[in-house]
Amino acid sequence: MMPPQLRQPSVLPGFGLTLGFTVAYLCLIVLIPLAMAFLEAFQLGWREFWSVVSAPRVMASYRLTFGAALLAAAINTGFGLIVAWVLVRYHFPGKRLVDALVDLPFALPTAVAGITLTTLYAGNGWLGQFLKPLGIKIAFTPTGIIVALVFISLPFVVRTVQPVLEDLEAEVEEAAASLGADRWQIFQRVIFPAIRPALLTGFTLAFARAIGEYGSVIFIAGNLPMVSEITPLLIVSKLEQYDYKGAAAVSVVMLILSFILLLLINLLQRWNRSRQA
Amino acid sequence: MSIDIRGLYKRFGNFTALDHIDLKIPAGQLVALLGPSGCGKTTLLRIIAGLETADQGSIWFDGQETGSRHVRERRVGFVFQHYALFQHMTVFENIAFGLRVRPRKQRPSETQIRAKVHELLALIQLEWLAERYPSQLSGGQRQRIALARALAVEPQVLLLDEPFGALDTKVRKELRRWLRRLHDEIHVTSVFVTHDQEEALEVSDQIVVMNHGRIEQIGTPEAVYDTPATPFVYQFLGNINLFHGRAHSGWVRLGGLRVQAPEYQDAQHAPAMAYVRPHDIDLLREPEDSDSTLPATVNRIAILGSLVRLELRQTSDGEIAEVEMTRERFAADPLQIGDLVFVKPRHLRVFLQEEAATEASVPMHWHGDGGGI
Repeated sequence: MMPPQLRQPSVLPGFGLTLGFTVAYLCLIVLIPLAMAFLEAFQLGWREFWSVVSAPRVMASYRLTFGAALLAAAINTGFGLIVAWVLVRYHFPGKRLVDALVDLPFALPTAVAGITLTTLYAGNGWLGQFLKPLGIKIAFTPTGIIVALVFISLPFVVRTVQPVLEDLEAEVEEAAASLGADRWQIFQRVIFPAIRPALLTGFTLAFARAIGEYGSVIFIAGNLPMVSEITPLLIVSKLEQYDYKGAAAVSVVMLILSFILLLLINLLQRWNRSRQA
Repeated sequence: MSIDIRGLYKRFGNFTALDHIDLKIPAGQLVALLGPSGCGKTTLLRIIAGLETADQGSIWFDGQETGSRHVRERRVGFVFQHYALFQHMTVFENIAFGLRVRPRKQRPSETQIRAKVHELLALIQLEWLAERYPSQLSGGQRQRIALARALAVEPQVLLLDEPFGALDTKVRKELRRWLRRLHDEIHVTSVFVTHDQEEALEVSDQIVVMNHGRIEQIGTPEAVYDTPATPFVYQFLGNINLFHGRAHSGWVRLGGLRVQAPEYQDAQHAPAMAYVRPHDIDLLREPEDSDSTLPATVNRIAILGSLVRLELRQTSDGEIAEVEMTRERFAADPLQIGDLVFVKPRHLRVFLQEEAATEASVPMHWHGDGGGI
């Protein structure tokens, strides 16, 4: 039997060079900084580490961070799809402007977004003043965090779904219609399965972005311990108290949780693809 | 199911795609819409299907007004040039699609669907592909699946838009013979669009030749090929030699040739064009009369399987003519390059030139048309 070969003969040259570069680059940019966090955290010793990362205040922040990120990504998956749909399927005046607007959350400094949203949704803000009589409080609550996360992660779903929708052949929909399918059936059975992988990718990107978001959230969240304090903020406040090891410990937990979640979504993606051959 | 099209008119912006089309398609026939690209044939097909709406005119299926009905209520099977299969579904699910999307009350049971799909897979001889995905199939297989999918809903009318256009020559030939056999089996009224005259001649019961949004001629393949109604049809179907001349009192003079044309008894020195098919020409070694043959030299000889195609250069003005004959006939009196021959058209069709010739005297020329069989 032949020994398993890592390198397969290929017409594309440069396998060794590019792989070497990729590994070195990822080490430098991703792996070494992350390893530093782990090293720092494990100086605490297991018992102390556990007591830091499982403190009630920290636990509450995990729930809030991951819960709000999931919810924001889910909201953006639905509405991002609608935005992408409108941008691809219809022609209207100012379409290019709207298209450019989608990318704005990418470019805006997150602190600016946070401050703007806070002013808008505070009890005396433009929008807040109308919501207040209805008993809806957005700024300085977990709802405010979700609003901020929805804002900063909007472009991901739109930008991943848009090209796939554009590539969708009109003929496939015509074929479905000629076979007797109504609009909903065409969407459900023909269009949706085609854009599902892109939708999932968009969701993953939005989710990952929302987990790590700091700048915009701290302004609108109010940062009440146990209520509206996100994990990244907790890490920063530990750093400010020179508790480097504690900060590293919480970071490590966050890293592991994020990694597990992203891995799960990737597996889901692969399963989804394998069903389509 | 017969199709009756009355006064169909369609514009796209400034472009008139269909200019008052009237067409009756009898039940159970296989009809080809033939024409160059941009002649409106695909638009006509899409309007019959309901994928496009006409600006004016009406469509009747078996005496019932259908033009205002939605495509999903028309029960037409539509086959696209690029297959338009559902990529994320297996072949089985593709074919079952039309049955699965029916309203609950009319939807067949799972067993019935299974039986129907397997029946269709047997019909297209691809039973072994049921669990594959479209991306794993060849073009010819995909198009057969697309056809089975269209047939699953038992359409009243089958519409095919350049169904073999994306396939290579060999597969295309196979598939069009197969389509003809299939049609003889199931007898559903079928209309297919093509720009390939050979395909139209081989497969269809009737050919509708279209140009510039109008119908030029409707007829059997034989009629359309042998007695073209217009110069356009003459040029579009098969190879031709074209030459210019003048019609006068029942005679047409084409350079050295003088031909009787009783239909133009009243013409007075009217510019005329004559069309001769390459296989409607006799080559003689000796001149017959002074004005029934033309001298020419053999320029090139190409042996194309069972046919021999000769390129002649006319002695008087150097224009090129194309002649085709069988191998046997060529072997009986083999010609060589450089031989002097006398060209005698056996069958020739004269049309008056509608627009008056701009030049006072149009030089007669032979002209071999390239795009032919």
